Amino acid sequence: MSLEDSDHIAGFYRHGENAFVVQLSDSEREVLLNLVEQILELLGERADKHVDDPLAVMVGITSHDSPPEDEVLMRLLPNAYADQVDASEFRRYTESTLRTKKYAHSMSLRISIKSAIDGIVEVDHDGANDWLGAMNDIRLALGVRLNVEQNSHDELELLAPDDPLRGVYAVYSWLGWLQGSLIEALMDEAI
Amino acid sequence: MVKVADKIDQAIEELLSDNRPWVTIVWDDPVNLMTYVTYVLMELFGYSREKAHELMMQVHTQGKAIVSTGSREEMEHDVARLHEYGLWATLQKGDQAI
Repeated sequence: MSLEDSDHIAGFYRHGENAFVVQLSDSEREVLLNLVEQILELLGERADKHVDDPLAVMVGITSHDSPPEDEVLMRLLPNAYADQVDASEFRRYTESTLRTKKYAHSMSLRISIKSAIDGIVEVDHDGANDWLGAMNDIRLALGVRLNVEQNSHDELELLAPDDPLRGVYAVYSWLGWLQGSLIEALMDEAI
Repeated sequence: MVKVADKIDQAIEELLSDNRPWVTIVWDDPVNLMTYVTYVLMELFGYSREKAHELMMQVHTQGKAIVSTGSREEMEHDVARLHEYGLWATLQKGDQAI
């Protein structure tokens, strides 16, 4: 990060009673859009394509009662019980609702980036919560990719310049910073 | 239908015989920011910043913390909301070893 950039790296800040503002560069918006669209796609893939019972669809019962095989989806849609039978039962009745809510967070982020004027995104409290949820889902997904369970931050900092994970880690860190700035702005309000 | 009847019997039996509360547990994970965990606990449960911070620190240092207690149904609701915001949460009967 060069010194010229220092004016620009403000992150989210509070503006008045119920507005949270951030200025994002073209490339930052592009990265965020790309990632959030991947999350939307992933969540969409898990949706039921062949549910025959309209009542089941209406009340949100899915045919899924087994956990996702994809590691990222498993992190986004985790088990609620350690017991597998209870976990399956719970998943059957709740997974589609959870997926819909996560989808809504990501869509909200996507829409506010798409409608940003001069790169300025402004959200209210609910919009900020959508952003936090959506940014967190992206970070959870990148975290699986980076295997943060096993690799310490020190190890990830020391990735070789030509390591393809280096770029992933840079985005992961940046998103953590952006998320942190929004939390700070929201917490100021909560005092 | 037998299965449904069995389930209802089982649910009634649980209701009558069991007043031990259920608990919602948040588990430590390396991705979620500490401030984020605190914020989500404040936002979802209406906890003060101090209480939310204390619970977050317990998750961070001990690997887990009980963040709410109540009926099974209430805890299922809490876990679902925590999952919505990406926290790693499970529920279980309060007297089980965690």
